[in-house]
Amino acid sequence: MSAPATKAPVLVANEVSMVFGGLTALSNVSLQLGEGQILGLIGPNGAGKTTFFNCLTGLYTPTTGSVQLRGRVLPHDPASVTVAGVARTFQNIRLFPSMTSLENVLVGRHARMSQGPLASLFHGPAYRRGEADARTRALELLEFVGLAKVHDELARNLPYGDQRRLEIARALATDPSVLLLDEPTAGMNPQETEATRQLIFAIRETGVAVVVIEHDTKFIFSLCDHVSVLVQGQLLVEGAPEVVRDDPRVIEAYLGKPPDEVEAEVRQYTEEAGPDTQVKDTGGNQ
Amino acid sequence: MNIPPGWSWLGQFLLYVAAGLLVIWLLVTGYRALARFLGGRPGLVRPLAIAGGVLAVVGALLPWVTFPLNDGPYPDLATLQFFDAPFAVTGFRLFTLITGVAAIALSFVPRIPVRRVLRALGLGLAGVALVNTIFPLIDGGGFGAITAADGAFAFGGIVTLVASLVLFFVSKAGDLEPLPRWNTKVPRLVAYAALLVSFLVLLFAVARLLNSGSDSGGGSTTYSGPIFLSLLVFFAGLFGALHAIGFAGWLSAVSDDHKLFSVLVLLLAALALPFTEAGTDYWMTIAANIGVYAATAIGLNIVVGLAGLLDLGYVAFLGIGAFVAANLSGAAAAEFHIHLPFVVAALVSATVAGVFGAIVGSPTLRVRGDYLAIVTLAFGEIFKKAAQNNIGGLTGGANAIPGVPPISWFGASFDESFTIGGVQLPSGVLYYVLIIVLVSVVMLVFANLKNSRIGRAWIAIREDEDAARAMGIKTGQAKILAFLIGATLAGLAGSVFAHKTSTVAYDSFQFPESVTLLAAVILGGMGTIPGAVIGASLLLILPEKLRDFSDYRLLLFGLALVLIMRFRPQGIVPDRHRRAELAGEAEGGVPIEELNVPDSPQGATR
Ligand SMILES: Nc1ncnc2c1ncn2[C@@H]1O[C@H](COP(=O)(O)OP(=O)(O)OP(=O)(O)O)[C@@H](O)[C@H]1O
Ligand SMILES: [Mg+2]
Repeated sequence: MSAPATKAPVLVANEVSMVFGGLTALSNVSLQLGEGQILGLIGPNGAGKTTFFNCLTGLYTPTTGSVQLRGRVLPHDPASVTVAGVARTFQNIRLFPSMTSLENVLVGRHARMSQGPLASLFHGPAYRRGEADARTRALELLEFVGLAKVHDELARNLPYGDQRRLEIARALATDPSVLLLDEPTAGMNPQETEATRQLIFAIRETGVAVVVIEHDTKFIFSLCDHVSVLVQGQLLVEGAPEVVRDDPRVIEAYLGKPPDEVEAEVRQYTEEAGPDTQVKDTGGNQ
Repeated sequence: MNIPPGWSWLGQFLLYVAAGLLVIWLLVTGYRALARFLGGRPGLVRPLAIAGGVLAVVGALLPWVTFPLNDGPYPDLATLQFFDAPFAVTGFRLFTLITGVAAIALSFVPRIPVRRVLRALGLGLAGVALVNTIFPLIDGGGFGAITAADGAFAFGGIVTLVASLVLFFVSKAGDLEPLPRWNTKVPRLVAYAALLVSFLVLLFAVARLLNSGSDSGGGSTTYSGPIFLSLLVFFAGLFGALHAIGFAGWLSAVSDDHKLFSVLVLLLAALALPFTEAGTDYWMTIAANIGVYAATAIGLNIVVGLAGLLDLGYVAFLGIGAFVAANLSGAAAAEFHIHLPFVVAALVSATVAGVFGAIVGSPTLRVRGDYLAIVTLAFGEIFKKAAQNNIGGLTGGANAIPGVPPISWFGASFDESFTIGGVQLPSGVLYYVLIIVLVSVVMLVFANLKNSRIGRAWIAIREDEDAARAMGIKTGQAKILAFLIGATLAGLAGSVFAHKTSTVAYDSFQFPESVTLLAAVILGGMGTIPGAVIGASLLLILPEKLRDFSDYRLLLFGLALVLIMRFRPQGIVPDRHRRAELAGEAEGGVPIEELNVPDSPQGATR
């Protein structure tokens, strides 16, 4: 469960700051995400977590600082960032509501398909092959997140948990090297939360590094290799989950509970989840 | 009280408004109370159906108008006394009779959704009754015309209106049945036969509808308005009944399964129109105009329906295409005295319009929503002013560019009539065929693009632009492409328009035309092909048939739009997706908006 800190980082944020008018939402936040790592980002409401994601993905242009993916500086344009290999989900689900699940995922394939306007107009053999491949891949992804059955349903008609998972499938369709998940289990029941945890482990297995924002600390501590705590736009503590969990500053600023109580909760949670979890956990170091 | 004389109109106006509101309130309350009363009494279905049917039959046999109106006697012997002189039930009275008999008969047929069927027939009958009471009321002047005057009585319309209400209220007695689903796995031959017959029936229905109330040349006559409208609403009621028993749904599923065959048959049916009773010079010209508008509306549908970019100046691209074609086709008044073959001129027109589309599109990338609409509106005005002032001598200004020669291929001039196998075809039939080809090409472009990587990107932008960008879509490029392709299609249509009308004038391309195009897209159904065609057809045929109402044309358009938006926001032929979005057909599941955790940063980027 320890962080493979020695591995070359995939995603590096250097001293990212974001100022909105007079409000400093982020100040000099740095972060390193290793290959195959699951990194948790926690912090109280308004700490700047979503703002940080927006800076990473080019939706916002950071006031200072830069983001690098495998050593190359990312542009401040969401489409280019996605093409470069960083995909995300949104805290408030932002699917394409009147498209089907399959079409949502197909939109995710957009950047990995090459058909231009003329090919789209004439539907030649090469076009049809590309379209069929995209369809196959999209169906695989829906299968992967457990939504194969509802591939023909409109996104707006899916139950809440399915919508969150569909957003993950759509993000995965862009073939990312880094996946940013903004509160992927918000509003889910314990079963769905556990399924999502397993899904994130499975995503890591496919070689994608993951950053997860979540308020559910039990979830974060039982999932991540590395946890960063953001408070009022500043990186307060970072390190292995055990270290962060026991840090008195974190407990004071964020958890507001004595450490042993938190530990008990985490232990209970991982036991409930069953032996399967343990296997997946150690698998993370491969 | 001492009201200054200038203000008395205000008092009157307020009085009318108050009276109107009172009537509406009474109607709504009465409707609700009646619906509640009937709700728990499914046993009333048959008695009500029979009562409504009998009333309709009586209505059909009663006189409808007390005296010959100013423009001559009302059609279909409506002015006759009950059982007077040569007894014939025709036209709207026949529709009323058929509906009445059908209602009685259907209430005894087991295993059909009686409530649904009668609701459709009832609404159709209400339309028939309203058209044929309102028209004499206005044209003949006053209630005397439709009730009793000078010892004559004529309650046919009112009795029929009551009959239609009774039939409609059958649907409130108990729960509405679910739409029956027929088995769509039928042998190929059965499917082909069904499609063939249906399209043939459609062809003849359309021809009949177009020619209803016309003189021998197809032109409109005094009463062609009400005659046409009566037939239209009667057909609508019949179609509603076919939908209610599940036939329409079945047919559309079957035609989806045999797409190629359906498209071919539909194309053949369209090409067969000149051979029917609607094959007159008059209707060929109107059909050609409809085709031009439909093709343009489909192009606009890419911009508005797919990419979600509201364009209020779109008709300018039709104009650019038309002026370019006029200048390149050897019109004497044109700036250039070159005469390119039609195909070349059409391609150049389309290209030029497309380039303008891209140019107009690019500055609009920075604005969204309402602002975009304003920018496109301004562009439309710039085009109009430029054309009005004969910029560069290219548009002829107020003199227009007259004398654009007709297209001529292999020595056949497109505006002449000719004979095939002994059948004399109307002049303009070649243009009709050309425009059918044009519309087919435009439809193909639309359909192929819609189901492609590009089309999905457009729809994604329409649904959520930020999310689309997060999927790697270069939204700027995609939007310009939408403008470019839409404008290209409009330019292509414009080149045909120039030859067909032979005079290209700036005033054919003004704001009301843009609005008409937009109305065609919205009325027919956003993002669908048949929608744009049906919308364009309605918007061009209705004014032809309703010459009497030409002063109220825009008012009626507006009313129709409001009604459609209220009762069928998804348009006449809805897109599968839009249908779910706008009609609230979603079963189970919660709309995404309601689930959103409020989150300021995303909203703040807008
Ligand atoms: N576009 C913006 N303009 C102005 N202020 C903004 C903008 N985006 C974010 N903020 C502010 O930045 C601060 C951080 O917000 P952010 O949404 O990043 O917090 P968060 O950690 O994601 O909170 P939560 O846990 O509630 O999602 C908040 O005070 C917010 O109001
Ligand atoms: Mg947030």
